[in-house]
Amino acid sequence: MSDRTRVGVEVGGTFTDLVAFEAGGVRITKVPSTPQAPHRGAIAALDESGLALEAADDLVHGSTVATNAVLERKGAKVAFFATEGFRDLLALQRQSRRSIYDIRYRKPEPVVPRRDTFDIPERTGPHGEVVTPLDEAAARHRVRQALQGGGYESVAICLLNSYANPAHERRMAEMIAERFPGTGITCSCDVTREFREYERASTTTLAAYVQPVIDRYLGAFERALGERGFAGRFSLMQSNGGRLPASGMAGNAITSLYSGPAAGVMGAIRQAGRSGYSNLITFDMGGTSTDVCLVQEGTPVLTSDAEIDGLPIRVPVLDIVTVGAGGGSIVWRDDGGMLRVGPRSAGAEPGPACYRRGGTDPTITDAHLVRGTVLADTFLGGRMAVDPALSRDAFGALATHAGCSVERVADDAIRVAEHNIVRAIQLVSTERGRDPRDYVLVPFGGAGPLHAARVAEVLGISSIVIPPAAGVLSAFGLVASDFVRYESRTVRFALDEAGAAKRVREQFAAMRADAEAAFAALGLTRGLVYTHTLEMRYVGQAFEVAVQLDAEEIARLDAAHLRERFNDAHHRIFEFDDSRTNRPEIVSFRLGIASPPPSVPALAGTDEAPHEALVTLFDGGERVSARRLNRSALLQAGTGEGPLLIADDTSTAYVPPGWRARVDSHHNVILTR
Amino acid sequence: MALDQVDQAIISQALIAAAKEMGIKLVRSAYSPIVREANDCSAALLDVHGNVVSQAELIPMQLGPIGTTFRPCAELYPPETLEPGDFYINNHPYHGGQHVPDIFIFTPIFFGDRLVGFSSTVAHHLDLGGGAPGLNMAAGDVYQEGLIFPPSRYNVNRDWNGGPFERLVRANVRVPEKTIGDCNAQFAANGVGTRRVVELCEKFGADAVTQAMAGLLDYAEQRMRAAIAAAPDGVYHGEDQLDSDGVGDTPLVVRARVEIAGDTVSVDYEGTCGQVSTNVNCPFASTIAAGLSCVKSVLTSPDIPFNEGAKRPIEITAPYGSLLNPRPPAPVRARMLSAYRAYNAVMKALAQAVPEQVMAAGFDTTHATCLSHLGEEGYGIYLEIFGGGYGASAVGDGCDAVDSPLSNCSNIPIEAIDMEHEFFRVVEYALVPGSGGGGESRGGLGLRRVYEVLADDVEYQSYSDRFVIAPEGLFEGEDGGEAFVSVLRGNEKFTLGSKTSFRLAKGDRLVMSTGGGAGYGDPGRRSAERRAQDRDDGALAAS
Repeated sequence: MSDRTRVGVEVGGTFTDLVAFEAGGVRITKVPSTPQAPHRGAIAALDESGLALEAADDLVHGSTVATNAVLERKGAKVAFFATEGFRDLLALQRQSRRSIYDIRYRKPEPVVPRRDTFDIPERTGPHGEVVTPLDEAAARHRVRQALQGGGYESVAICLLNSYANPAHERRMAEMIAERFPGTGITCSCDVTREFREYERASTTTLAAYVQPVIDRYLGAFERALGERGFAGRFSLMQSNGGRLPASGMAGNAITSLYSGPAAGVMGAIRQAGRSGYSNLITFDMGGTSTDVCLVQEGTPVLTSDAEIDGLPIRVPVLDIVTVGAGGGSIVWRDDGGMLRVGPRSAGAEPGPACYRRGGTDPTITDAHLVRGTVLADTFLGGRMAVDPALSRDAFGALATHAGCSVERVADDAIRVAEHNIVRAIQLVSTERGRDPRDYVLVPFGGAGPLHAARVAEVLGISSIVIPPAAGVLSAFGLVASDFVRYESRTVRFALDEAGAAKRVREQFAAMRADAEAAFAALGLTRGLVYTHTLEMRYVGQAFEVAVQLDAEEIARLDAAHLRERFNDAHHRIFEFDDSRTNRPEIVSFRLGIASPPPSVPALAGTDEAPHEALVTLFDGGERVSARRLNRSALLQAGTGEGPLLIADDTSTAYVPPGWRARVDSHHNVILTR
Repeated sequence: MALDQVDQAIISQALIAAAKEMGIKLVRSAYSPIVREANDCSAALLDVHGNVVSQAELIPMQLGPIGTTFRPCAELYPPETLEPGDFYINNHPYHGGQHVPDIFIFTPIFFGDRLVGFSSTVAHHLDLGGGAPGLNMAAGDVYQEGLIFPPSRYNVNRDWNGGPFERLVRANVRVPEKTIGDCNAQFAANGVGTRRVVELCEKFGADAVTQAMAGLLDYAEQRMRAAIAAAPDGVYHGEDQLDSDGVGDTPLVVRARVEIAGDTVSVDYEGTCGQVSTNVNCPFASTIAAGLSCVKSVLTSPDIPFNEGAKRPIEITAPYGSLLNPRPPAPVRARMLSAYRAYNAVMKALAQAVPEQVMAAGFDTTHATCLSHLGEEGYGIYLEIFGGGYGASAVGDGCDAVDSPLSNCSNIPIEAIDMEHEFFRVVEYALVPGSGGGGESRGGLGLRRVYEVLADDVEYQSYSDRFVIAPEGLFEGEDGGEAFVSVLRGNEKFTLGSKTSFRLAKGDRLVMSTGGGAGYGDPGRRSAERRAQDRDDGALAAS
């Protein structure tokens, strides 16, 4: 099986990347994305790569199609059903503003307009008890009135307290299916079973909104693959860092939102893991933004607190923080005289000033050309011509204003950008009670390795792992990812209630059985691994802290141990615990099931002749003389002392003075100080 | 040594991030729904002199005058006498505080032995004793509004964690687990801010951090001055009014004289009516916050950090003994209502100076609903704050059903209410079609809530406004719709006033509807496309 071809195809905003592992080696292809018809770009990458798809048995796809459908409001026409009296939930939202002094404030626009919202007579109570029985006759009548001739592709149902008892949602779904077969139906209880009706309704409508888009997209993609002789397994990346076979995406499309950044994290975990590193902070810096994520013992941290375009999504996704600091981020001075970087980006058009496409705003990429940390002749492996003189011009006005050299301003801009990244990393580490010094930094994306050492210095991190082909690590991450699915259940009880530990064991056992059956239905039975997470808080609080338990811990669990685990976790984040006066309670259970792919191929750098030169660059206010070399030259030399520039086809790494670089046996470049 | 401009930028951003983290952690570890769900709380970092340097953008009303609340504490207990573990506390409306439920706590930040600043949080506490649970509309003076903490210094280890001060508070409030729990969340959030500032001192040195704090004040001041200078010089007048004090039916008039001169603004509330016997009096700290928030919102971009420096170019005065600067011991619990009219009066004045930058009057009222019930297991207290429609502006329609500009409370999820309270149930929560005033841009819609009462002897206390006098349209825009509250009992209907209390019985339905915002510009110029959208989405009244 291992001599079969494995393919990862990642559709990004600008480029579509393909990484293929064949018996003969690795094949990397990059083609422009086709935002109007995303699957065409992906198919074009397959055609251009010249791969024999008949020989491929595993193809994993990551796509922005669901994300774009939401951002551009091009999803399905959805009808939303709520409990009687509450059809305006989506418009009311949470009543608060994100920008408190903005008198022209607008709320995030829901994906379902008010005209497509309906309500039905029923009410379930907070303990799952029926307060008002579902009036089936009335409900049937309203469903008919609402949907008849409405042209709806999809229906979202979110009823009050359905997390505690989904019976009314299920009955509604049956009634709609009987009368309007063929209409997609999404119940909130199948998407997320957590309390807070607006957040659950938002998640449910988003799911209903993207499902038909994903269904169509996958249909078109699978047909195109079939025409090219592909008979292997086709799977899709999710935002939780795992993939699912395409058949598993039916009813699950919402998990494909934001899958792109997740793939990169999984690639980083695999590749750093080969060199023995499992506590990581991943740092993916591309053209417009930087994504960072914390990885604890090989497992990325999840959050249920994500949103898209201001709309909440309550399904577990990787806890990735994004800041507007990328190569294209614009450097500017505000009206108080402060130097700022981003969030505005020059994008691909006109792009940084050096692109010669009419851009005049200075960007981070321009700053690197001015400093000499990126060289014109090796830009994107020499495939793209850039003009450093335009970069210098772009920084002219800022330098004049500050009364210093162009190099100095460019250097300052990079320091500001690096501190923006530092703050993003602090958000996923210090703010979550994790000390960044206990982690290695794993930079990737086109620009990550350029900034990693300085970012690490500020955070006190002493080791950096730069993967090979760092510019296409996300596509590798697709092939390297496990099959993953999460299930959550809100089941509330306090730890001091009788038999609490037993209930935890039984609840997880039941969820494991369900998850195993769901995976079996998708043909996934190999090497199953489970993760068990309890969402806990003190009685009376509203936000939960995650406590992760391993299988062994669950087997011998008692309430005292669980109380201690929770107090520790609460203390880590909030720097206090209320064990003196308050009782912990469990709010919900989350079970993850994962099945590894048959084998994970190794990522290696491309073979090239050793090359080395001497360059001059500007860093930290000083002009320094540095060696520039490629990976082969570094490998040959054994180790190198900074200042160094290490360039490969997809990215350049900068090794400042005080750092030492070497290439290890897994093709990772390791920086230490 | 002057601070490097990049270090200045880096430390400034870190101070802003630290205040934001304090705010998030305060909300997430709090106990009462008014803090944990509605986010009625704020957080800030102060320099050693008590100047607010950076703040979590939560509630404008609480943020404006944190320095004003700090100063009386520092005068009594000079900062240089503070020791680790000490804290200041203040909620005294006549000594720099606002209304009694808002407790401000300040924790000194030491780097080694050196005091480098303060971390501070304020939270609206659900109940602090006083004449009624949560809210006492009958209060004739500030003493009946709850426990007053005058500007004081205590030590958290000695006096709080099980100590005498904590015990005193616990014994005098109706839901001690929530009040004490929320105080603990405040202490913890202050601890987070302290830790972040200490980390910055470790990295950059205490000198650099204190210099950066001063620099951040100057920076905000400079940006504020630049924004003010761009507005045309002149003297402008504005006026708005409250329906009444809740007892009589005479409107309470608020007047503002706004003078823009170069890069400074002065606001004088001369001509405002005298203080009243009910709780709509607005302590001066709140009046300052209202005026500042309006000037900041209208003249500057939301991106300018709001700190003590940004306040330097703005002077605010109000005659002593007036509604906006009352003499003690007048009750002040509903001070937000008058503060909003102070905000509206400045907005109307600025409409003459910068017509493109203002908004028409909105509902601009805190509609506070408090339901309480004494059951076998003690008090159940529900307090929720509602806004309504925003006024329209030159660029677009007013926002629908959003908390009013001086506040920023989230609603409490219906499912959280269901978990918490068994003596009532929310049976409807909706937009109010037709409540937004027409205009080229229309006003935002108000919201409607219906409560079904599930027990006898449920106490309802509420304050609100704009039941009688609608928000006024701007530049030929139409007025917004008024608010109302009524109780349905069998075939009977009781129409309630805007500032009142009422004893509810099992089976009653309490119906409330907040007002919409006023329109901006001639309704005849509204585009066909926006009209069609109003029709399709039911924004218009069914008539």
